[in-house]
Amino acid sequence: MIGPMSDLKDIENLIARVALRDRAAFGELYTRTSAKLFGVVLRVLDNRAEAEDVIQDAYVKIWRNAGRYTQNGFSPMTWLITIARNTAIDARRRKTRTDVQSDAMLEQVADSAPGPEAAAIAASDRAALGSCLDELQQVRAEAVTRAYLEGDSYADLAAHFDVPLNTMRTWLRRSLLKLRECLTR
Amino acid sequence: MSDAPDHNDDRALAGEYALGLLPDAERDAFEARLAAEPKLRALYRLWSEDFARLAEDITPITPPAEVFEKIEARIHGAPDTPGLLSMLRVWFLSGVAVAGLALVLVFGTDMFQRGPQMPASPAYVAEIAAQDRSLVVQAAYDAQSGHLHFQREVGEAHSGRSLELWLIVGENAPVSLGILSGGGHTVLALDDAHRAVLEGAVLAITDEPEGGSPSGAPTGAVLGVGAISNS
Repeated sequence: MIGPMSDLKDIENLIARVALRDRAAFGELYTRTSAKLFGVVLRVLDNRAEAEDVIQDAYVKIWRNAGRYTQNGFSPMTWLITIARNTAIDARRRKTRTDVQSDAMLEQVADSAPGPEAAAIAASDRAALGSCLDELQQVRAEAVTRAYLEGDSYADLAAHFDVPLNTMRTWLRRSLLKLRECLTR
Repeated sequence: MSDAPDHNDDRALAGEYALGLLPDAERDAFEARLAAEPKLRALYRLWSEDFARLAEDITPITPPAEVFEKIEARIHGAPDTPGLLSMLRVWFLSGVAVAGLALVLVFGTDMFQRGPQMPASPAYVAEIAAQDRSLVVQAAYDAQSGHLHFQREVGEAHSGRSLELWLIVGENAPVSLGILSGGGHTVLALDDAHRAVLEGAVLAITDEPEGGSPSGAPTGAVLGVGAISNS
């Protein structure tokens, strides 16, 4: 489990070395993060063979885009997890031919001064998120987690909860606003 | 809080985007705005950080060993970027040190009364920065003169150490561009081969022994990285 700040700092340094095409650093980054990322991918795809292809794609993207990492202001594990998750969701949606999640986050332009402020606002932890999700009605919290962890689309969610698509979207947007308000207090 | 969806600001929209829920057209429109609006990027970043916490509950599962072998084959087995690497080999064979390769001249601010200025309309720019902003260097390339300018805004070399600049093109090994001068401004003149490959390349700064890496490859900590983009 990657959590303590020193570990995160290590991951950050490894990403920087990968940007310099350091193969040993890439191997070390893979060793330290691939089990978590493979877990994320498997959660979305629920198919081992596909997940093995997708985890390869994700690490190829990590190798190619490591040089852009410092520009986007993401914490290192968030950046890695987001790449793995989005790659898995792309693979899932290619099969059903619905909207594909974009790689735009990899190309985000530099923010001139993300600074300590950005780091501070990113500080809500798993417990805070959990208690804010608890404040939502259970089905609405489930919709948010299904969208993130399983990669459900609005159509998937509407079918799962047996509500019209527009209703689903209204629900979810309201849930997001409540969640944001809770997380910022 | 209003319930009218259109009125419900960008916070919900950024959350929908982070979840991958936006329909194609809305997603494209959001991404166009994302490129132009730092506030929207901050909202998106915030949701990404928050949602990534959900992954903390996921049990890590080690992928089979051959997965890493396949990744390595894909990234290292890929054909070389045409041009640069073969040129490097020629230079290696002719005994030219890699460290001086890209560098025609380097001069610091002390050579000028006013000191050189960053180009007014650079073809390419990059921000080479540490994630914690302890080092921030702006880079700008003046296509007309072929000069690559560096402005050090935050951070400096440790005593007895040097800040060395590296250019990384595609899958190739880093090429040293030289040492950042002690003054705030450094100018490098790039040769033709390097001018042609700047777009999409990466600039990095490492901590090296005084005068630069003795081996021609980075040896110290990576202090800052930044991708080169069109200005």
